[in-house]
Amino acid sequence: MTQNAENVLDHFELFRGPEYQQMLANKRALFENAHDPAEVARIREWAKTPEYREKNFAREELTINPAKACQPLGAVFASVGFEGTLPFVHGSQGCVAYYRSHLSRHFKEPTSCVSSSMTEDAAVFGGLNNMIDGLANSYNMYKPKMISVSTTCMAEVIGDDLNAFIKTSKEKGSVPAKFDVPFAHTPAFVGSHVTGYDNALKGIIEHFWDGKSGSEPKLEREPNDRINFIGGFDGYTVGNIREIKRIFELMGIRYTILADNSDVFDTPTDGEFRMYDGGTTLKDAADAIHAKATISMQQYCTEKTLSFIESHGQQVVAFNHPVGVSATDDFLMTLSRITGEAIPKLLEQERGRLVDAMADSSAHIHGKKFAIYGDPDLCYGLATFLLELGAEPTHVLSTNGNKAWEEKMQALFASSQFGKDCHAYPGKDLWHMRSLLFTEPVDFLIGNTYGKYLERDTGTPLIRIGFPVFDRHHHHRYPVWGYQGGMNVLVKILDKIFEEIDKNTNVVGKTDYSFDIIR
Amino acid sequence: MTSLSATIQGVFNEANCVENANKSAAARKKGCTKQLQPGGAAGGCAFDGAKIALQPFTDVAHLVHGPIACEGNSWDNRGSASSGSDLWRRSFTTDMQEIDVVFGGEKRLYKAIREIIRKYDPSAIFVYQTCVPAMIGDDIDAVCKIATAKCGRPIIPVNAPGFVGSKNLGSKLAGEALLRYVIGTQEPDYTTPYDINLIGEYNLSGEFWQVKPLLDELGIRVLSCISGDGRYGDVACSHRARAAMMVCSKSLINVASKMKERYGIPFFEGSFYGIQDSSESLREIARMLIERGAPAELMERTELTVAREEAKARAAIEFFKPRFAGKKVLLVTGGVKSWSVVAALQEAGLEIVGTSVKKSTMKDKERIQKLMGHDAHMIEDLTPREMYTMLKEAKADIMLSGGKSQFVALKTATPWLDINQERCHAYMGYLGIVKLIEEIDKALYNPIWDQLRKPAPWDDADVSWKAKSLAQVDVATVDIDPNLGRVEKDRCAKSAFRCQNLDLGVTKESVVALGSTTVDDIAQHTEAPDVCGASERAIADMTAAQPTSTQQAAE
Repeated sequence: MTQNAENVLDHFELFRGPEYQQMLANKRALFENAHDPAEVARIREWAKTPEYREKNFAREELTINPAKACQPLGAVFASVGFEGTLPFVHGSQGCVAYYRSHLSRHFKEPTSCVSSSMTEDAAVFGGLNNMIDGLANSYNMYKPKMISVSTTCMAEVIGDDLNAFIKTSKEKGSVPAKFDVPFAHTPAFVGSHVTGYDNALKGIIEHFWDGKSGSEPKLEREPNDRINFIGGFDGYTVGNIREIKRIFELMGIRYTILADNSDVFDTPTDGEFRMYDGGTTLKDAADAIHAKATISMQQYCTEKTLSFIESHGQQVVAFNHPVGVSATDDFLMTLSRITGEAIPKLLEQERGRLVDAMADSSAHIHGKKFAIYGDPDLCYGLATFLLELGAEPTHVLSTNGNKAWEEKMQALFASSQFGKDCHAYPGKDLWHMRSLLFTEPVDFLIGNTYGKYLERDTGTPLIRIGFPVFDRHHHHRYPVWGYQGGMNVLVKILDKIFEEIDKNTNVVGKTDYSFDIIR
Repeated sequence: MTSLSATIQGVFNEANCVENANKSAAARKKGCTKQLQPGGAAGGCAFDGAKIALQPFTDVAHLVHGPIACEGNSWDNRGSASSGSDLWRRSFTTDMQEIDVVFGGEKRLYKAIREIIRKYDPSAIFVYQTCVPAMIGDDIDAVCKIATAKCGRPIIPVNAPGFVGSKNLGSKLAGEALLRYVIGTQEPDYTTPYDINLIGEYNLSGEFWQVKPLLDELGIRVLSCISGDGRYGDVACSHRARAAMMVCSKSLINVASKMKERYGIPFFEGSFYGIQDSSESLREIARMLIERGAPAELMERTELTVAREEAKARAAIEFFKPRFAGKKVLLVTGGVKSWSVVAALQEAGLEIVGTSVKKSTMKDKERIQKLMGHDAHMIEDLTPREMYTMLKEAKADIMLSGGKSQFVALKTATPWLDINQERCHAYMGYLGIVKLIEEIDKALYNPIWDQLRKPAPWDDADVSWKAKSLAQVDVATVDIDPNLGRVEKDRCAKSAFRCQNLDLGVTKESVVALGSTTVDDIAQHTEAPDVCGASERAIADMTAAQPTSTQQAAE
């Protein structure tokens, strides 16, 4: 036996043993009826050609390796950002298990979220009973302060009416009549997780501001000097929101973070399990209507939310995931303009430090070509930073980007001498990216964990920035916003660049004449 | 130490050094290294210079005898490329401990040598002396002599402890070690009329490999290179070369001139930086070889190669000319590079606003004059502050210098490019100059500089960033008395208590006048908040020397 109880091998090693290798080889030779390896190799090479790329881009129906997730994922992400809030997804339970594992694998934290566990009979007769029982059970079992309802496709296809269902459930005593149950319809066949974030957040705000589904009078806005802040769907929420709070406090701004999930995705280990932690209080969510303005860090995550807020008389400003010096300048100056607070010395020093770090290392980034994929705002923010560093974001691809996003990206490229050979690819997937990387190679790829397949196939080194990052731990704890966040992104990029130089010079006696200590 | 000081004297008395030749006998005796000013920033020491000069020998074990400081800070700090062994990158040190300082480190050194031989079997070991063993009297020459006899291979002492002087002196002392123990100790398998030595070429970033194919093409053999990608055996045979080129202008001039003296190998000072210099050097090598018996047709072939390479490089540079129009360069380097790079940059259409001539010879300076005209801005010794001011006033669009002044440029938001030893690119030869021009272009057009020069956008637009920082410079530039810091003349001012900068005078006065006998008393009297143990001992000594009643009173 290759495996041995006295020295149990891990699977990396085990299946390399002669027995297993023999077994796999036999299986292949005797049963698999595999193609001729030469033919396989030929096709593999062909898939790298411009001819294949053309066919690949002519693909109409099939999506291969999409870089996006579904609406309810975004809805759950937004919902856990409110005090004591249990996300409740009306639909099939399997979907909900996915959101929980997806978020937990990225944040390395438990994700509390329930479903109405609809089954075949619910699909036939409607999910009302599941809603009634589901709300009652989750209210009694998990003692939330609020239950935020969203939907999976199953409920959407049969057309369950959340507003009516929740009203009926309350009438049937599932939860007290005054208990807050905001809701949002979040079908996966429309948009992506960023849309779901938008819908859920709007649902919650609308619930508090516009009379809780007709059960209370609408709130009257009495303007004050507070600022609402919305981060959007963001894999770096833990680090980012804490950084943003620090900036607000330094500037002396009174603020409300809407959907503040920075604590629930980073609970301390001290012997107490926190099903809920931190978050925007329900009172603050309601009072947010009085704020002077609302700032969103991610335009495409908050389109509906912002227009809803604007319709209530607030000033709204949207950024595109600002990363780097100019984008952060713009963010801070907007804050300063809206609040009248000056930008403090400390932030100016942090700015100087980031600029200094960029200057120290710019020669290594300058002129390098990058491919980026991810959510539309993240792509925009990173592309801005790369242009600022003199790098070329040659391919920028966003599966959930739309036409408007494409135009915005192209305008950004046009604004810089480094953007002249750059292109935005809305609605494309990672198989398209594969063709791009083969036919128009770049130096580095920026994307989430799934980019590792592209890295392996095309040999383009992957810099992990985005969501989800499953195979590297704790990056979400470090901000990418603010000048300090820009510093983190800079270091991440530089680390990869230097690792690559080392990798390319480390063959003993062959290339190691340049395996230098000082870079 | 007598032999070491004799060696140093010898090194200073360098006949081939123009500067030295023009000096009076007394001045010559004083030596050419500038006395360091205590309290001022300074460069590397003699040990560093010696290590730098020899470290690129690749198949040699470099063993540093001393506490961890010397090797710990200098391990693998230069990017010389090796085409063979990587033994030179291995860090060997005796890592002396307190007990070695007390009982002497010679045995430890000997054992370390033996271990290296056993484990690595190198062609030779270079043993570097450092301050601590030199001060306690470890005789590395003797240890190496015994070790050579017992181990049956060359163990070379490199006697340049840090305190003897500057980096430059250290390089020269390293050269002396080569002359004394290595050069001429072996014979080559064969010789050709085309054998040359390169002296002071370190193959940084492998840049010499950009030139070597040209020499190969012409049939010129580099018999030995001191020391880039060098082999011990090659240096040992180097006395059989027909001619030598001294690449890095001054630091190993003693090697070149003594080889001329002893073995009749003529040498010239040349450079492969820039198109013109590369061509001139190739021609000069050919000329010297022909003079020493190589066939005259070598020159014709050289001219063909030169013409071809020049044309290629010029064509490549042409592209950059419009991009460089009106761009000004400040060059802070020294020696040969102060003019060889100038020529190259001028060819690409850059304007040179100044070049430092700190380590340049009269001849170097003459060449600069020829290249830049009579209003040539030659800067003798550019202090960082002057550099800072120059850049602040935006007199240059880019500064080319070594890593030492990198931050002066960066902090003034001026594009900067490393052209000294820590650079990551190879700038030598015809290809190298194109690479340099490319890198300058990249540096000049990097978008970060705009960002750097802009104030934070919320700052008052009237107070421009430049004005602000210039004001800063003005405040910083208070007149500093050049004699300030020369403290030897007054013994009383010598600091006894480093802990609080109390000076001996004050303390003595305190001991005498007030009868202070304990540190507490002194601390009180001198208003020093804290006095360290060393001071305590010093005070004890002083009070012991005061035969007064205060002592009895204290008891």
